[in-house]
Amino acid sequence: MKWKNDKLKFGILFGSVVLLLFFSFLLNIALGAVKIPLDDVVSILCEWNRSSNDMSEIVWNIRFPRAVGALFGGAALAGAGILLQIFFKNPIVEPFVLGVSSGSVLCVALVTLGGFSIGLGALSPFMVFIAAFAGAMVVTMIAVSFAGRVKSVVTLLVIGLMIGYICSAVTNILVAFADKEELHGFMMWTMGSFSGFTWNNIFILIVVGVPIMISMIFLVKPLNAFLMGEEYAKSMGVNISVLRVFIVIIASILAAIVTAFAGPIAFIGLAVPHIARLVFGTSDNKILLPGTLLIGALITLLCDLVSRTIFSPAELPISAVTSFIGAPIVICLILKRRSSL
Amino acid sequence: MKQLYTENLSVGYGKKKIVENINIAAYKGQILCLLGPNGAGKTTILRTIAGLLPSVDGAVYIDSKNLFEIPQKQLAKKLSVVLTSKFSGELLTGFEVAAMGRYPHTDYLGRLTENDRQKIKEALLLVNAQNLSNRYFMELSDGEKQKILVARALVQEPEIIILDEPTTHLDIRHRLELLEILKVLSKTKHITIILSLHEIDIAVKSCDTIVLVKGGQIVANGSADEIINNEVIKDLYGFESANFNNLLGSIEISNRIEPSVFVIGGGGSGIPIYRLLARHGIGTAAGIIHENDVDCEIAKTIGIDVFTEKPFEDISDLSLNNARIMIDRVGMVIDSGVEIGSLNRKNGDLLNYAVESGKKVVSFRKDDDCRKQYRENADMVKLCGNSDELITILNENRGKISGGVNHGAT
Repeated sequence: MKWKNDKLKFGILFGSVVLLLFFSFLLNIALGAVKIPLDDVVSILCEWNRSSNDMSEIVWNIRFPRAVGALFGGAALAGAGILLQIFFKNPIVEPFVLGVSSGSVLCVALVTLGGFSIGLGALSPFMVFIAAFAGAMVVTMIAVSFAGRVKSVVTLLVIGLMIGYICSAVTNILVAFADKEELHGFMMWTMGSFSGFTWNNIFILIVVGVPIMISMIFLVKPLNAFLMGEEYAKSMGVNISVLRVFIVIIASILAAIVTAFAGPIAFIGLAVPHIARLVFGTSDNKILLPGTLLIGALITLLCDLVSRTIFSPAELPISAVTSFIGAPIVICLILKRRSSL
Repeated sequence: MKQLYTENLSVGYGKKKIVENINIAAYKGQILCLLGPNGAGKTTILRTIAGLLPSVDGAVYIDSKNLFEIPQKQLAKKLSVVLTSKFSGELLTGFEVAAMGRYPHTDYLGRLTENDRQKIKEALLLVNAQNLSNRYFMELSDGEKQKILVARALVQEPEIIILDEPTTHLDIRHRLELLEILKVLSKTKHITIILSLHEIDIAVKSCDTIVLVKGGQIVANGSADEIINNEVIKDLYGFESANFNNLLGSIEISNRIEPSVFVIGGGGSGIPIYRLLARHGIGTAAGIIHENDVDCEIAKTIGIDVFTEKPFEDISDLSLNNARIMIDRVGMVIDSGVEIGSLNRKNGDLLNYAVESGKKVVSFRKDDDCRKQYRENADMVKLCGNSDELITILNENRGKISGGVNHGAT
């Protein structure tokens, strides 16, 4: 049974999530190799000036961009995840299922391992970003070109998986012939991290990501109709092939911008939609889409915090943390419920 | 008024035609039903006229406009569907599923206005599902889910609703309730209903037009009275071992075995016995029944030997004699407990004749009624209270009757 008063229920839930998000954002800035007291964090953030003391330096140039990156990155991945889960009607689909991450990894492998660095001796992070983004977008374009044509979404899913396999195969060949030192850097990148986020990265992430996340509002209505299946959706007037292309493009771009900066981050896109469903207790996308974005941001922030602090000053790859913490949570939540997903 | 009609429509997948040359018409506020065996193409026809599947050839017209030229959004306001595809319902409530139907009417964010909410509540009320609106859809029974899905189709405010086998998986109560709802929709809201059904009896009784589909074509098309009879139904479904009674709309298992049991019935008292004997493969004769008796209709549909008398006449000596000859030939006589009145009092004579001639007589009468009927011979009559007891008696007397009785079967 649902609550009698939905507005109150969702109001309270959203309020608590936003509050938690706010506190974990502050915590992310306060904690780390150098601990900054919370009141100092608040005062530094409130001053809004970059006085040259060390604390302010750490907050403004390292921790703040990183926290913002984790915030928007997490939201973007979770958003892409829920779009694809509804679209494919499959609870174990994630943003990288269409081969987006494999495309990125392949292109990054080409630049880092394959010597396609256009003569640049030292590998710049910018090159990695360009390569990752380009790889993701190429794969997305291939997926989109199929999306409008294939009869069923399952076919599209299989095509995505196959593209992923091809990309992985080429990557593996490159890895086999790679130099040891380059390989370590490459492997660390594939495990993902929000470290080294700069203001420029944030700028791109927000300029590209936020409008796309806002545009998801317009998908709420057709996505709800889609819950009943393609035929019902069509009978209610949803243009299926246009919707398909939109969803594939939006989900892929969201996944691509995060991958480009932070590497392929596992789990968030797969698990957060489930956590959001269980928290909010509804499949109505009016509630579920914004809820998923917020919870995605919250969980990613917390995971990033753990990855930095648990073995400080050493840092864990974020994918290790997201999977390690998130997977048991999902198993517990699902087992506690009577019905399937 | 023709609301939806087809012109030489061929339906199928790709180039492959499954049903050809379909010319059917659904009139406003009427119920059109497709009947036919599994795999005949009923679903394909419904999907095509709902605009979900392109036609292979020919055309579908709604209000004289070509269906495939009507924009999707506009079509959604004219026509809605209830499909067989399973929909898990995720974490949506009954109300939220029904509310999906407002899709063509809401703004780009899908917000429900007070008017929309009112319409959804009305639809839920109309299908007796107002108590389901706050429950999760996936927790409802099949019958309750179907009501919500019909409410969803209704909420779309269409002129036509197309339902693909809406009664499958429903128990008899929900089946009848659903058909009743559809009847109300067609007669009071003037919505045209097009559906496919499996139950011939329900179709015959509740649909205005019936279309029979078999072997890639429309076999017949018209009102139930015009086209439905035993031969058509047997041919449509290709069954041999059962018969269909047009008057009563019931299907009976055939029993054409040489009689070894004589049932004296009338007024409906014989029907359960005829059916039980047919089920157990025991040849049966029935008598003496007036031709306007319901027992007579069923006995004839089952195909057993019936000794009849003209309606409202006393049973004649000729009929009595014919029946006596049959009683001499059978091994057992069953007295259904039929009321003995003035018109059929010779049935009483027949019962006494059976006892006196030493036949095994089984009677469904109560003890005192039995004494009144058989008097001094009452002790020779085996009393029987229900069908289980009758099966036991039949088992005990297997030597007297032909055909096998399954032990313990009811």
